[in-house]
Amino acid sequence: MHKIINPYRPIKAEITGVISETPTIKTIRIVPEEPITFETGQFIELTIPGIGEAPFTPSSRPAMKDIMEITIMNVGKVTEKIHELKKGDMVGVRGPFGKGYPMDRFKGKEILVVGGGCGFAPIRSLMYEFFDRSGEFKKLFFRGGCKTPQEFLYRGEIEGDWAKRKDLDLKLTVDKGDSGWKGNVGVVTTILDGIDMDYKSGVALVCGPPVMMKFSTKKLIEMGFKEENIYLSMEKNMSCGIGKCGHCRIGTYYVCKDGPVFTYDKIKNFSNIWD
Amino acid sequence: MHYISSSNFAKFLENLKSDYEVYVTVKKGGQYFYEKYIDFTDDIVIGEVRAFEPLKSFFFRAREIVAENFKSDIPHTIQKPYCVVGVKACDLKGLQIQDYVFENHDYQDPFYIDMRKNNLIISADCTSTIDTCFCLALNVKPYPLENFDINLSVVGEDFVVEVGSQKGKILIEKYSSLFEEVKEEFISQRDKQRKKVINGVEKNIKENDIPHQDSFKNIIERGYESNIWADEANNCVECGACNTICPTCHCFLLYDQKSENKMARLRIWDSCMIKDFAQVAGGANPRPELWMRLRNRFEKKFDFFPKVANIYACTGCGRCISACPAKIDIRKILNGLVYNA
Repeated sequence: MHKIINPYRPIKAEITGVISETPTIKTIRIVPEEPITFETGQFIELTIPGIGEAPFTPSSRPAMKDIMEITIMNVGKVTEKIHELKKGDMVGVRGPFGKGYPMDRFKGKEILVVGGGCGFAPIRSLMYEFFDRSGEFKKLFFRGGCKTPQEFLYRGEIEGDWAKRKDLDLKLTVDKGDSGWKGNVGVVTTILDGIDMDYKSGVALVCGPPVMMKFSTKKLIEMGFKEENIYLSMEKNMSCGIGKCGHCRIGTYYVCKDGPVFTYDKIKNFSNIWD
Repeated sequence: MHYISSSNFAKFLENLKSDYEVYVTVKKGGQYFYEKYIDFTDDIVIGEVRAFEPLKSFFFRAREIVAENFKSDIPHTIQKPYCVVGVKACDLKGLQIQDYVFENHDYQDPFYIDMRKNNLIISADCTSTIDTCFCLALNVKPYPLENFDINLSVVGEDFVVEVGSQKGKILIEKYSSLFEEVKEEFISQRDKQRKKVINGVEKNIKENDIPHQDSFKNIIERGYESNIWADEANNCVECGACNTICPTCHCFLLYDQKSENKMARLRIWDSCMIKDFAQVAGGANPRPELWMRLRNRFEKKFDFFPKVANIYACTGCGRCISACPAKIDIRKILNGLVYNA
């Protein structure tokens, strides 16, 4: 008989670093007492002992096994507390949950990654996975947009290391620029045109706020991407992580166990997927 | 099949007490409740109709601690497994849904499994109906046919006994001196009784014009944009009674508590009718309107479950009808969806 595990129990983890990314977003680095390995796109539940837990997709390299980084926007009861945490504090982690990006299905393909705002967090993890497996894919494009240059997550990393990479075609945009911004100004869909790839056979991976995902998906379909080649990272109220508590159901799926990554064709007929 | 007199049945229950926490249906003020069995008192009613509270509360408890202080063990709270006596067929179907969710749905829930694994279900035929009963519309007979260990059919003061599992068989063998061979006349008495109750439920179905589940295919899809949701949700007060009282509803809320240096994670029954059920911390809510949540509740029962588990998550027990302060009536909604949407 296999050992019964308690799926609701968090594993203790120590915070080993806190990085302020933007005025409202921080990245915390944690070291769990028991190693937690994840596939890019899977999510974890982060516990603040006695306060509660909330779902996040790690932003760190999946290949980095002992340390996990989680980038968190201060929007709710739990995230507000997370933003008060300091190096040395203890948190809890459950997971990983769900199905991440099916990396093997992308082998030999042209890949377009479209990111928006806080969606850069899961995408950072995804991009590192692509970088680590660089030779396996035909071409890699990243198109990212944020509201303002101040809200640009990982800007140093993206404009530095990512921009230098030969295996990545990178273009960035902001909705509203400032004096220091030299790049494109406009929403992310304005930089999706003219990408040197075959849309019909390519795959697109989209992560960002709901409205950005909605319009990006629409644009990608217009461009010629097949619905089954558009991968969306859905955000719903994932709580238990194992398809029992009911909170994150869309149609016949639980986002927590059947997702959070879905191809558009699987979920397009369900109502209010973007809300 | 066997036969047991009520005095021997009392002895049987007394014996079961050593291995089980025995609960039995009692009648109080015209309602039926599960109460801990002490003695074979006069208020014990094995037949008649379903209990007020759903059977799920024994196994998927309304509030329980699921984690404490990062400890990896499973907090145990019961000493003995439950033996529940007087369970009706509608609740056995409810348990099928709960079993599917907590035992078989890709991941297992150790708490439910722990509560459920060694228990004993002694079910019973309904011997009467109340006007909210409509089990037959959901293909549930008012007498148990499966998913029980032992079933009782009240005949006079005594019971016709049917075995439904290996566990039930072993128990009857163990206490064989208490059981007798059943006489043919008692079986025909039972069958007559069953027919009477079927007639009663059929009368309810006819009077309320409740469609049969054979006509439920795609009703949610067809009625998705119907006005029925807004019309029916109009008086909803968002109390969640329909969820808590429902034998198939399984949604729960996980929340954490802090006390001194301890932390505990609890789960409590939750309700999809409440506004923030699906809302995320950022504020997005896929179902901001009450009527969307009412529709979602029906979608879960009449679209999700048949698609993923090949079963309608309604037992026809009628509890949600009685529980709703706004008189939202599942029978009327089903009727509207089948005939007018």
